[in-house]
Amino acid sequence: MGLPFFEPRLDTDLMRPYWDAIRNNDLKLPACSVCGAWLWYPPESLPCHPNGHLEWRPVPKTGTVYTFTTVERCLLPGDHKDETPYTNALVELDDVPGVRLVTILVNLNGTPPKIGMRVRYAPTKVNDQTLPTFEPET
Amino acid sequence: MNSLTPVAITGVGESEYGRVLEPPLFDLIANAARKAIEDAGLSAADIDGFASTPGVPPADELAAALGVKERRFTAQASVAGAGTVGAAQLAQLAISAGLAKHVLVYYGIKTSRPGGAYAFHAADPHKADLEMPLGFYGQPLYFAALAQRYRHEYGLTDEQLGEVPVAARAWARMTPGSQKQDPLTLDDYLENPVIATPFRKLDCCLNSDGAAAYVVSSLEAARDLPNPPAVVAGVGFGALPVTLSEMFTQNPDLIQFAGHLSSKRAYEQAGLGPKDVDFAEIYDCFTISVLLQMEELGLCGRGEAASFVEGGRIGPGGDMPVNTHGGHMSNAYIPGTNHVVEAVRQIRGVRGEAQVKDAEVGVIAGLGGNEHATMVLTVDG
Repeated sequence: MGLPFFEPRLDTDLMRPYWDAIRNNDLKLPACSVCGAWLWYPPESLPCHPNGHLEWRPVPKTGTVYTFTTVERCLLPGDHKDETPYTNALVELDDVPGVRLVTILVNLNGTPPKIGMRVRYAPTKVNDQTLPTFEPET
Repeated sequence: MNSLTPVAITGVGESEYGRVLEPPLFDLIANAARKAIEDAGLSAADIDGFASTPGVPPADELAAALGVKERRFTAQASVAGAGTVGAAQLAQLAISAGLAKHVLVYYGIKTSRPGGAYAFHAADPHKADLEMPLGFYGQPLYFAALAQRYRHEYGLTDEQLGEVPVAARAWARMTPGSQKQDPLTLDDYLENPVIATPFRKLDCCLNSDGAAAYVVSSLEAARDLPNPPAVVAGVGFGALPVTLSEMFTQNPDLIQFAGHLSSKRAYEQAGLGPKDVDFAEIYDCFTISVLLQMEELGLCGRGEAASFVEGGRIGPGGDMPVNTHGGHMSNAYIPGTNHVVEAVRQIRGVRGEAQVKDAEVGVIAGLGGNEHATMVLTVDG
């Protein structure tokens, strides 16, 4: 298994707190400062409380695979031939309703990925970048 | 809806289609537009309305190139797929309001441009920051993840997926100008390497350069024009309450498009239902998209499409012909637009060996990410 390397572009500061937390091996997601609703992907303006702001809060580090695909041919710009295969997954975190994280499943050690599989946060360092990857819970 | 003026598609036109074509996009579109106007038995001076989607050359430049005298109506529909099919709705509104007599709908694409068909997703900041760094990039991956979820909920075999491109190829071989003409069997499909589970390259549509156009006129005017009118009996639009950015990851039910909304509206306007449909032209960016939209159009029940397509049922000679020109998988990827062209020809009854017998009602499904349009086309009378 490989891991793709492609740096977040961070054209704006909107997603910066996500990566700042990951770099500290933490996991934080944005919620409305007024009502606490999780807002993912982070919006420029809050649909629930336009006068509120995004508050990045720590979230549980366990969850369930909603779907996955094992990528044999990476389509990112540039040459990523040596970085496949990898398994992308959408993970639903425990107690964070309505949110799915795009991730890569690591440390599968031959276990075939499955929908419904329990996973836990296991960030992985690639070059100087930490990726928000997940591994099987047991 | 009774106050709407009945309309028909009176002319259709296509440029040449290919993987990489020399002429600029503008020339391809102008070429398709001229053919559509000529096919309608009209001249450029008769065209007074324009409708298209984001991402194509603007109407003023096309109108000037065609020699249009006066534009009285110009509108932009939503993103291609939904927009190219749904533009007929804008045309009908304009004609009903007396704003235009003959509306030209046009679209063109050059996926041979740098970045190809994926580039517009790369421009999206959420994808650039939350998906691309994880290698989750490109429509084949988004739809592969959908297909995996469908497989989990309803069951889906590789062989069932393979039915879609195999049928498309058989139709394309009976369609002059199709990009893919060589035979394709289910075994060929199964031998094609997997690129992202469960997809092979053959689960994906083509990359294309090309353009297509059609003319919408009042039915009354259409009856005096050379071709049998292809009556726009109904056209509906629908949108999911998620952004295009979030569509492929956060859509609450990942395997639902807006086709159930648009088809309901189109059938209602037409006074027809799925049981009346003789053939369907369905936006086939990927195999799974065809299966899901067949369900949303009511051609089969939810979760039933995978088994429905078994045994060549959507191919030539099958009882529910789908993408009778080869679709985006084997004819060309001119999002939604070559599907409209094909449906019109089927309704006219001019498709030779690919002609669906007694084709009186056709349905066209245009997917544009979170948006969707359905058009019901019928013969006159």
